[in-house]
Amino acid sequence: MSDLRDLVGDMTNGVDAVLLFGPSGSYYERAAGADLPVVVVAQENTVDAEHFVDLPLEFADVSQRIRFGLEGALENELLEEGSTALCAAKTFAEDIDSVVRVRAGEFARSGVYELFADSRAEAHIIRDVLEVAIELGKKGQKGKPVGALFVVGDAGKVMNKSRPLSYNPFEKSHVHVGDPIVNVMLKEFSRLDGAFIISDSGKIVSAYRYLEPSAEGVDIPKGLGARHMAGGAITRDTNAVSIVLSESDGLVRAFSGGQLVLELDPEDY
Amino acid sequence: MVVQLDAVRRLLRRLLTSEVDLFVASVIIVVAVLLGVLVARVLGGLLTDAGVPDEVEGTLFERTAQRLGTSTVKLVSRLSGLFVIAVGTVFALQAAGIVNAGLLTEGLTDLIPRLFIAALVVITGLVVGDKAELVVGERLRSVKLPEANALPLLVKYSVFYIAALVALGQLGVATAALLVLLGAYVFGLVFIGGLAFKEMLSSAAAGIYLVLKEPYTIGDEVVIDGQQGIVQEVDVFVTRIESDGREFVVPNRQVFETGVVRMRN
Repeated sequence: MSDLRDLVGDMTNGVDAVLLFGPSGSYYERAAGADLPVVVVAQENTVDAEHFVDLPLEFADVSQRIRFGLEGALENELLEEGSTALCAAKTFAEDIDSVVRVRAGEFARSGVYELFADSRAEAHIIRDVLEVAIELGKKGQKGKPVGALFVVGDAGKVMNKSRPLSYNPFEKSHVHVGDPIVNVMLKEFSRLDGAFIISDSGKIVSAYRYLEPSAEGVDIPKGLGARHMAGGAITRDTNAVSIVLSESDGLVRAFSGGQLVLELDPEDY
Repeated sequence: MVVQLDAVRRLLRRLLTSEVDLFVASVIIVVAVLLGVLVARVLGGLLTDAGVPDEVEGTLFERTAQRLGTSTVKLVSRLSGLFVIAVGTVFALQAAGIVNAGLLTEGLTDLIPRLFIAALVVITGLVVGDKAELVVGERLRSVKLPEANALPLLVKYSVFYIAALVALGQLGVATAALLVLLGAYVFGLVFIGGLAFKEMLSSAAAGIYLVLKEPYTIGDEVVIDGQQGIVQEVDVFVTRIESDGREFVVPNRQVFETGVVRMRN
């Protein structure tokens, strides 16, 4: 028994900070008593924590959640580069059941935190678009897998780097992502080719846009198709981010600055 | 059998001849009580169906009522039932000729509806005032300014004040002085508010036209008031145009004052 205790105790040796993912109030109180900086990562700051990282999406994958929390803590200077953090998160149970020890900065920054926090569009707009993409990926268009490309933010510039494929169904309409009825409309229009353009404030500017960015120096994984290439390239040419639902493998990917920053499987949500 | 029928007939005759007034009075009272109970029931059901319990949830009045073992809906429906019974009683007294028809009942028939409406107004005022405070407070929660906390209270007491005024007016109390105060308050609100929001209101009026007619949209290159750039966003109050990493936030008022140049190429 004591061996086991030592084994687990080794995890806590030399830890510089504690990251709690969605803790309950009493759990937070206990962790705060440990004389280490405590950072809470959750969708809402229900425990009134002093250091808080806003989790925009309840990542189903724990490693993605931890990555987001670490990058958020590094970005907000709650954590120093190279320091060791103990992450306590929920994996299977409703309460915190797993502890992970990570050295912040020992992995390459994916930019997933910047995708939400530092994009031109607000975090909740990006979250809403991601949710539409996830739902579309889960259900498809009338049962058939469907692909979609959303370009979010910097809409004026994106409009000048693209041309219409057809009449814009959203012309003179004032609809914003996040409305339930709009999500249905987006799903219906995803049947047709081309990209959706969404402004910084979440207004749907256009559908059926053919993106014409210069694809020079875009580094996206091999094997992805033209839709991903266009989605990745436009984020290099403009300050937009793009969210792509793949028709072939059903994954949702987000690009920012020409780089792939996030990959989600809709089936997990 | 015959004997019993005979007894009933005799009783009816006695009631219908010598004491007909008393008979009518008691019938009125019975009908009034039944009607009162029915009104209380139906009103309670209607209010519950209309979602009133959820709406008043959390207000001070509802909490006080809960502590006393009742609820706002119950109070209002019972009050209405009582009102019906009270009106019936007055009619019954009149019919029985117990009270002097001219003097007392005239005052009573006049006073009871007023009392009822005053009570309803007070309850509604208390609930609406509290609810308004909660809603405004919720809206302003993200604004962490000490000054913002005064606004919900101001809204609450404004509603209370108007409710008290209406209730007092119903009871026939002289409210002229209070009305003057209310007039001054409303005038101040409208005048100062108008002065403070003048620019925003004219921007919003222009913005409604811009949003509906879209003379220019996101992606167009325009010149507004000497600032050239690509339109990034048009909302009711402002237009954002951007060029070379510089974003101009132009009030829509300006768009109408100086006009827009659309660069077509």
